[in-house]
Parts: sequence; C-alpha cells; structure tokens
Amino acid sequence: MIRAIARKEFVQYWRDGRVVTVFGIVALLGLAATVTGWSAVSSMERERASAVAMDREIWDTQGLKNPHTAAHFSRYAFQPTFNLAVFDPGLTDYVGNAIWLEAHYRDPAALRPVEDAVEIQRIAQLNPAWVIQVFGPLLIFILLYGAVAAERESGTLRQLLAAGVRPVSLLLGKAVSAFSLTGLLVCGVLVGSAIVMGAEGIERLPDTGWRTAGLAALYLVYLAIFVFLALGVSALASRSRTALAGLMGVWIVATVLGPRIGPEVAGALAPAPSAPEFAARLDREGADPFWDASEGAVQRRQRVMDAALAEYGVETVEALPINYDGYLLQASEEFANGVFDTMYAELWGSYESQRAIARGFALVSPTIAAQNVSMALAGTGIHAYRHFADEAEAFRREFVLLLNQEMIDHGGADGYAYVSGNDFWRQNPDFEYAAPGIGEAVRGVWPDVIILVLWLAIAIAMAAAGVRRGFLGEMAA
Amino acid sequence: MTTRAVLKHERMALLHDRIQLVLLGLFALICLWASLRGAEYREALEEAATAFETEHLERAADWRARVVAVESGDVAPEDDRFAGLAMDVARPAVAAPGPLADFSHGVTDVHPFTSRVSLWRSVDRLFGNYQFQSPNEIRAGKLDLAFAVLFVMPLLMIALTFGALSRDRDSGRLGLLLSHPVSVRAVVRSKLLVRLGAVFAILVAALLAGLFIGAGGVPGGERLGRFGFWFLAASGYFAFWTGAIYWFVSLNRKSETTAMMMIGFWVLNGLVGPAVLAAAAQLIHPAPSQLAFLSTAREVSNEAYRSRADVMQGMLLDHPELTVENYTIPEYIRVSYLVNETVDRAVEPVLAEFEAVQDRRQSFLSLVQYAAPAALAMRSINEISGTDLARQVRFEGEVRDYKRAIARHVEAKVLAGERLTVAEVDAVPAYAFRESDLGAVGRSVLFPVGYLFGLGLLAAALARRNLARLQTRFREA
Repeated sequence: MIRAIARKEFVQYWRDGRVVTVFGIVALLGLAATVTGWSAVSSMERERASAVAMDREIWDTQGLKNPHTAAHFSRYAFQPTFNLAVFDPGLTDYVGNAIWLEAHYRDPAALRPVEDAVEIQRIAQLNPAWVIQVFGPLLIFILLYGAVAAERESGTLRQLLAAGVRPVSLLLGKAVSAFSLTGLLVCGVLVGSAIVMGAEGIERLPDTGWRTAGLAALYLVYLAIFVFLALGVSALASRSRTALAGLMGVWIVATVLGPRIGPEVAGALAPAPSAPEFAARLDREGADPFWDASEGAVQRRQRVMDAALAEYGVETVEALPINYDGYLLQASEEFANGVFDTMYAELWGSYESQRAIARGFALVSPTIAAQNVSMALAGTGIHAYRHFADEAEAFRREFVLLLNQEMIDHGGADGYAYVSGNDFWRQNPDFEYAAPGIGEAVRGVWPDVIILVLWLAIAIAMAAAGVRRGFLGEMAA
Repeated sequence: MTTRAVLKHERMALLHDRIQLVLLGLFALICLWASLRGAEYREALEEAATAFETEHLERAADWRARVVAVESGDVAPEDDRFAGLAMDVARPAVAAPGPLADFSHGVTDVHPFTSRVSLWRSVDRLFGNYQFQSPNEIRAGKLDLAFAVLFVMPLLMIALTFGALSRDRDSGRLGLLLSHPVSVRAVVRSKLLVRLGAVFAILVAALLAGLFIGAGGVPGGERLGRFGFWFLAASGYFAFWTGAIYWFVSLNRKSETTAMMMIGFWVLNGLVGPAVLAAAAQLIHPAPSQLAFLSTAREVSNEAYRSRADVMQGMLLDHPELTVENYTIPEYIRVSYLVNETVDRAVEPVLAEFEAVQDRRQSFLSLVQYAAPAALAMRSINEISGTDLARQVRFEGEVRDYKRAIARHVEAKVLAGERLTVAEVDAVPAYAFRESDLGAVGRSVLFPVGYLFGLGLLAAALARRNLARLQTRFREA
C-alpha cells in the first residue's frame, strides 16, 4: 500500500508543473554550486601549493643572516583547503589562509577570502551545503503542505479511509515520496561533489569516506525532520492554505532568520574581544613586560641573566660559553608564549561561548545544528580552524626555538652580529599539517547531533499526533 | 458598501487579527534591536578608531618632544642618538565609521579601518593583525537595519497580503462585496493600503528611531543628509515590493499558489539572485592570488636584503649628494628603508591589479544588479551608509599613498642618516579620510533607487490592468 501511495504521489509531482519547476531550479542551483565550489577549492589549493614551494625557496636562499633576524622574517603556515570544502566551505572564506610564524608574536590567520569578495556575497554564498540546507526544506514543504489538508479539503481523505487505507500507510507513502525526491537531490549533490573532490591537486581530508557517509546521513536526517514536520502540520491544519502559511513560517524561521539571529544574540550576550583592542593587547602584553624599562621588566631580565650565569657556573655574561643575546631572546619568547596562551584561550573561549548560546537557537532552527555538524564533518568549522591555528603555533614555537638555539649555541660573543647561511636554512623543517580524524572533528558537535535527533523525534511525534487527531477525527466523521 | 467602508473594515480587521499584529510587533522588535545594536556597533568602531588615533598621536608627540629637546640643547645629541630619526616617523591613518554604519554594517566587520603608517613597514604590512573577529559571527552576518529592511520586511509584507484577494474569493465574500458599488481594484487597493501601510509606518518609525538612537541625540547635517537618501532607498525597496505584491495578488490565484509565488520571488530576489551574481562576478573577474601577492612581497624583500650592497650602490648612484662619510646612524636603518621601498615598488602592480579587479567587479555588478533588486538595494544602502567595499578599497589605497607621501618627505634624511628638525617633523603630512560628498552619493544611487520605484510602478500598472480584466469578468459573470 505504501508503495502504491508513493507511486501515485510521484505521478502527481510529475504532473504538477510547480513541483517540477522548483525541483529543476534547486537541482540546477546544486549543480552550479558544486562547479563553483570545485573551481574555488582547486584554485585555492593550486595557489597554496605554489606559495608553499615559494616559501621554502625563499627561506633556503636568504643568504647570510642572523638567525633571530631570520625568525622575524620567518615563514608561513598555509592552511590547506580540503576536498570536502567543495561541498561545504563553512568558515573557509572567513578565516585566513596563512599564518605568519614570526618571532615574538602569535599572528592571526591573514588573507581571508571574504575580504576580496564582493559585498553581496555576504547575503548568500552559493555552495552545495547551503542549497540543501535552505532549499531542501522549502522543496519538502511545497511537496507536502497539502499532503493531508488538501485531501481533506477535496474529500478524498474520507474516501481513502473508507476504502480501508490505514492512516499510517497514507502518511508513510507520502513521506516516502517526498523524502525520496529530496533525498535524490542530496545524493545527487553529494555524488557530484565527490566526483569533483577527487580532482587532481585537491588535498584529501582524513576519513573522507566516513565523513561523506556522515554528511549523507546528516542531511537525510535533516530532510526527514522537515518531511515529518510538514506531514504533521498538514494533518493538523484545517486547510492546505493554513498548512502552507504555517510551514512557510517554519521555513523562514528555521533557515533564514534563525541562523542569523542566533549568532547575533550570542554576539550580544557573549561579546568576543574587540579586534583592534585584542591586537593591541597582544602587542603590549607579549612584549612590554619583558622588554620595556619598567621595574618589572628589568627584574625579569635580571632573573634570566641570573639563571644563565647559574646554569653555566660563571660570574659574568662575557664569561658565558653561549650567545647571551640569543638566550635572552628565547627567554622573551617563553614569556610571551605564556601570555599568548592566556589571551588566545580567552579568544577561543569567547567563540565557544557564542557557539553555545547560538546553539540554543537550534531549538527553533534545526538548520543551525545541521550547519555545525556539516562544517565539522567537512573540516571547515571552527574546531578545524582552531586545530590548524594551534598546530601552526606549536610549530612557530619550535621553529623560533630552533633559530634562537642556533644563535645561542654557535653565536658565542658575536651577539647580533652572528650570521648563519643557506646550509643551515636548508636543514630547517617545513610545517606539515595533518588534519584531525573524524572522531576529533565531531567531538565538539555532539550537542548539535543530539538536538537534531530531538528534532526528528519531535517531528515524528507531531506527524503521529496528526494521524491521531486529523485522520481519526475524519474517520469518526 | 463604499471604498471608504472597505478601508474601515480592513482597518478593523487588522486591529483584531492577532497573528497579523504579532507579525507587525515582531518586525518592530527586530528593527528596534537592529537600531540599538547598530548604535552600539558604531560606537564601538568610533571608540576603537579614536583610541587608536589618540594613542599614536600621543606617541608621535612624545617623539617630537625628544627632537625639541635635542634641538633646544636640553639633551645632548649623543645622549639621544635616535631622536628625530627620520625612519621612525610614524603616523596613524584612520577611517572613522561611515555616517550610517549603524544602519548598515556593510563590509566594516571584515576590513581594517586603522593603520600605523611607518617606514619600517612595507605596504603589504600596513594593515596587520586585525583578523580576530569571530568567524562564526562574520559568516552569519549582522542583524542590522539593512537586513531588517531588505529581507524581513518583504517577508512580513508577503505574510500580510498573500490572501488579500483569494481569501475573499474562496470564501465567497468577494461576490457579495462586488455587488456593492465598489470595484475589485478598490477592494484590493484598500486591503493593501491598510496592511502595507502598517508595515510602512513601522519602517518609518524604525528608521527615525535608528537615526536618533545612532546619533545619541539630535543628528548632525551629514547624518541627516545620508539618512534622507537611506530613507529614499528603503522606500524604493518598499515600493518595489508593494508593486510586486499588488501584481501577484492581481493574478487572482488560490491563496497557497499566490503565497508560493511570492515566496519563490523572495527567494529568487533575495537569496538566489545575489548568490549567483556574486559567484558570477568572482568567476568572471577573479582576484589575483593573495598568496601569490604575499610570496612576491617576501621574495622581493628577501632578494633586496640579500643584495643590499647593490641596492645601496644603486641608491648612491641615483643620489650622489647623499654620499656622506660620517654616518652616525646604523647602516641597517638605511638598508631597511631601501628594502621596504623596493618591496613597495615591486608589489605596486599587484596592488593596482587588486584595485582594478574590484573596479571591474563593481562595474559588472552595476550592470547586472538590476536582475536582483535585493542586491541593488543592498549596494545602494551600503554606499549611502559609508560601509561599502569601494570606500574600503579607497581607504586602503589612500593609506598606501600616504606612506609614499611620508617617504618622499623624509627620504633624503633617512638616506643621509640625518635627524629631522622640529620644523621638518611638523611638516610631516597628516592623514585625514574624507567621506564621499553627499552630492556624489546622491548621484550614484539615484538611478538604482529610481529603478526600484520604476519597477514598483510598472508592476502596479500591470496589476491594475489585471484587476480591470478581472472586474470585466466578474461583470460578465
């Protein structure tokens, strides 16, 4: 029976020009989004590969230079844009592509693509995930708003029930048809993305297979939520017009207003530090307490000197068997690193607080939760960005230490006049980034997964309530 | 029943329809939130800009005081070797927030608005370390008055009017109504007048509230003038949607079909259109690679540093008058100046290309924006608010020019290794960002805003024709 109902619904969709048109437009958008995503990711990866090679070349050929001067020039950590960004670019355009690994300072990632983008991109950015998140529910609502209400209005519902069709079968038949059609869209877009993701030059994210399966499951659950919601509303509404109005309201709140209002309220309740102020504080607090003429800084430097003298068992700096300037520079690095740890913990903490508050809005907009999970699986969410930034910072510290150590060990009494050459630069390591696996990637989004499951349960309960009230009322009549 | 009676009835109906009142209330609330948050945002930008400028001007004043002390003989030159060092000239360059940045945040949340212009920095480093904003917040976008007007307002207009004609027709009330001496056009017009009039009243109140809240009192002349254009643009967008709604209603379809068509139009105009136009602009006019730009700057810097002897030689050949034997200033200062100057010259063509691409994109969008009125309205509104991309590109270009101006002013002294005199310090040019004048803004947005009004009028004319035909059909029936 369910199959027969689903088949009948498909035929009806096919005959309904509106459905075919909307489906066609959404499918076209999905295709265009996939091509755009592929073009953006492959071009970003091409540019990155070239920049990485150039960075190495520049480093290796810098000639005679003081190692600490080289640490100021330093190198860059370039963030890879992985294959799944074709499907869901997430925060890719809003975080920088490159982190300067200079001495004395923990830089933010610079070169954010959004700074080069035209301003109307801020309204909406065409990508496959966005097409599914926004247009999937719309398509479902258009397919299903009249699923029960229109049958009731035309009197066919009573006929169907009188003919012995079970309400659950009717509901499931309609659910299967709408779900299959929109599921086809999800699978089509994912398969399309998977094909272009395999293109040469695009770096593969660890566990891509599992992540893709996770994305497929996520979006099927996401669409199922809207399918059952639509059926519930259609069964409970007295008229198809009312059902449509209600569902359009749900769509607007869930996909358009919720994802904007949530972060807005979160920003108001848990403001992130002001960017100019934070940058100034990093500058000030990371350097001044060590280098300026204040009593605290003088004492700090004195303690470093005392420690060096004690370590090497000598009385004066001149008697030290090491380059003391390098030693002092490294001590300043270690002091600044503690400051950076504290300040960045505050920054990341504010992002997390905002996310937690915005997540509260997922209770009225499952799209927010779906976006968080989708970005995490695609490796384009805030955790992926933080992972990269932290890895780059760990490398920066090791790299600056390596350069300072070269000066300490071999600089002797030359102070800043000590220089190293290309032979040394060529031995220095590259920053090699390994993205986290799926387990680590989804660790931060379990609450979102739970919210989605809750939404699904609520939507199913609503559809069941629709069966009880809508159908049984009709049977009683 | 007369037209006046229909109007009165519609007013009463609106006042007693709880759902419509709630929707209107929600819109008012969103506008109020946007005004309050907008004012807070603008104030924060202003405070950051002022704090930055004050701090750096104070530093410059302290620095000048050292020059005065040496010149007046209070401090011996050998006791303050670096007082008046030409290379140390540094000045702040600040673009205060646009006059209506509280109304539309535009691109202000991702671009720098301050720079410490110093000869120690090459032009690719003039805007460093400002990328600390929460990527999630940037991605979600701001809930400003522009968003309320461009996206929320049309949704409210649709929700209030989609059943304006069809509901009466479906319920059989229309026939009864038309049996009185009143035309179908008058009925539709009365309904739209009351419902959309309420939306417009809230819009006017919200904008006026925003004007005063953002100004923290009575607004000044510049703000008032810009507000006039902003109001005109918002009214144009309202007129466009009024015309479109009038036309959709005049098609006399079932309520749900009308609602679907209106929502579909909203989606095409507000989401798909801007997303496709943005993607097209960026595909047709791709920006030069930022990573390649970075690599070029580093490569040139490295090369210039490596061959600094040649660079110095070249400089002395160009400026034999600067061949001074007794430099009192360390050599590395001149080297840094020349290296930075070499980098500045090398990246000039790339920066020019960045600006040219933005110009080409803006020209492209200026043509195609007419296909998506939401994009057109947004661009106009951002321009009026002083938060558009073109203003930002201009600021960044001016800051680079400013650095060149300072360099020209002190170059001879840097290369000769001489101190600046107090008179020379005082003659260092200052930077002041100038907003586009009101007339230019008006001329720029006049046609796009006129187009919105024109589209609205055209749609209304077509609607009138449709309703006239409908009236004839009713009479014949």
